[in-house]
Amino acid sequence: MEESVQTTFNEGGAEITVTNATNIGGNSGLLDMSFIDDLKNVTNVSDAVGQLSVSESPESYSQSKNIMGNMFYGINASKLNLAGISDVNGSIFDENSFEAIVGVRYCELNNVSIGDNITFLGHDFKIVGTFETGIVMKDNAAYISLDTLQNISDTQEVSSILVKTSEGANDTVVSQNIRDKYENVSTLTSSEMSSMLDDVIGILDTASLAISGLAIFVGAIGVVNTMVMTVYERTKEIGVLKSIGWKSKKILTMILGETLVLTTLSGIIGSILGILIAEIGIRLIGTNRFSLVYTPKTFILAFGITIIVGIIGGVYPAYKASKLAPTEALRYE
Amino acid sequence: MELIRLTNVLKQYDGGAVTALNNINLSIESGSFVSIIGPSGSGKSTLLNMLGALDSPDSGQVIINGVDLAKQKDLSDFRRQEIGFIFQLHNLLPNLNVQENVEIPLMDAKMSEKDKHRRALIFIEAVGLLDKRKQKPNKLSGGERQRVAIARALVNFPSIILADEPTGALDTKTGRKVLDVLRFVHESINATLIVVTHDRDVAKLAERTIEIRDGQVINDYYNR
Ligand SMILES: Nc1ncnc2c1ncn2[C@@H]1O[C@H](COP(=O)(O)OP(=O)(O)OP(=O)(O)O)[C@@H](O)[C@H]1O
Ligand SMILES: [Mg+2]
Repeated sequence: MEESVQTTFNEGGAEITVTNATNIGGNSGLLDMSFIDDLKNVTNVSDAVGQLSVSESPESYSQSKNIMGNMFYGINASKLNLAGISDVNGSIFDENSFEAIVGVRYCELNNVSIGDNITFLGHDFKIVGTFETGIVMKDNAAYISLDTLQNISDTQEVSSILVKTSEGANDTVVSQNIRDKYENVSTLTSSEMSSMLDDVIGILDTASLAISGLAIFVGAIGVVNTMVMTVYERTKEIGVLKSIGWKSKKILTMILGETLVLTTLSGIIGSILGILIAEIGIRLIGTNRFSLVYTPKTFILAFGITIIVGIIGGVYPAYKASKLAPTEALRYE
Repeated sequence: MELIRLTNVLKQYDGGAVTALNNINLSIESGSFVSIIGPSGSGKSTLLNMLGALDSPDSGQVIINGVDLAKQKDLSDFRRQEIGFIFQLHNLLPNLNVQENVEIPLMDAKMSEKDKHRRALIFIEAVGLLDKRKQKPNKLSGGERQRVAIARALVNFPSIILADEPTGALDTKTGRKVLDVLRFVHESINATLIVVTHDRDVAKLAERTIEIRDGQVINDYYNR
């Protein structure tokens, strides 16, 4: 799971994202355009660009495939790289036009492609290009000219400023400088962003470990139960063998061997079935947001536990049975 | 020569509620043929289990060949080499065929596989089951299963043959055949043969008959 999450996250172009900290009164605070030039003058800031994000909630959930609603970003066409968009399939929108580039996930969900029109805030936009960043949020959105978005949403401000630092600069220091200089802003460096993501991944990882653990635990109970039943049913057989003169050790060795064969086989069959079901399942769901990752750790753990619990479940009752007097063991039916 | 000696053997079940053997004192000669007779529940099977080292008494001594069984740590070698036990219920292994069942006691014997097969077939032939040697026990009749159990008990030429109602499940004719096999081994290798039965005619075939009731010896006599 960890691996699959990481593939969906790669770094955007800007190292620091600046937003308005006075986020009071419902309306998220926007930033004045003049602030962009202020930021460019901060030491070690090499570039900065304003970005406006506007979302339009779907009229009804059934009409829109994307329950998050349509998210449109307005940005300078020449500064798209700061938003982490480097490769555009097709062409980039012209400034002040009603052209848009859209993420691959957006295309997929709305079943549109280059040349199609999409409607946003009552205006038609022509898709001129598509892109894929690997970040779900962006791949679900459309990017258009900042001027156009400001016009149609009736604002002269931006919602965030993406800041690129000079090469070799310490992002954390630059970020701190910005906060010191301008009280009303909050900043987020890309490394802070990724550590936040790491936390999320950590939670997912713990969850998946807990799920594997639970699965292994439930499996272990099954194995112990089966082995105990198998050996219990064979108590009479153990009695026969003892009365004929088999040594307890020999009987135990035989049962240990059988247990090993049984648990190893069931471990192999279980693993194959598990992979098959997971592969079929992910195809049925038809998602490409998650990829299946098989870590040897899980298999070794599951295998080891299977064999250990198999031996405990099989050999312990066998040991007890082998300690019985033959006549007592023979009484089991 | 004395082979088996029981002194004050007591065996109780269910925390003393049932006394299966009550102070048994007994001596059995090597090479003899002894029958044990008595009503159901009198303690015949329990006594035979003591003689075959399959169970141990609550108190008292079981001495076989001068060895106190209570002082033996591992009786498996003794059971395999000296004892041939034929259970009241045949106790065959259901997953093995007739021949494989008969060969179990030979598992550790120092002989080639071919010799083991040959030895097993001699006894399977003796109990008249050569044509059924590849059958699983669940395909056999009760009497046939009992005969397989007999072949298994005899295959390693035990010095003591203990048979618990070997003819109980058989018609008179087959029963006699089975007894003939037992007596043949008893006579040819001079094995001690102890047979539990409730059939007086069968009991009379033995040199000596021990009658028990309520876990006690009430009669002990020679038939000729
Ligand atoms: N494992 C046991 N637990 C409790 N009671 C037992 C056990 N084995 C035997 N008994 C009891 O001990 C007594 C003697 O049993 P045993 O099997 O020796 O009788 P038996 O003479 O062989 O009878 P049958 O002719 O029916 O085989 C019986 O009352 C029986 O119920
Ligand atoms: Mg009995």
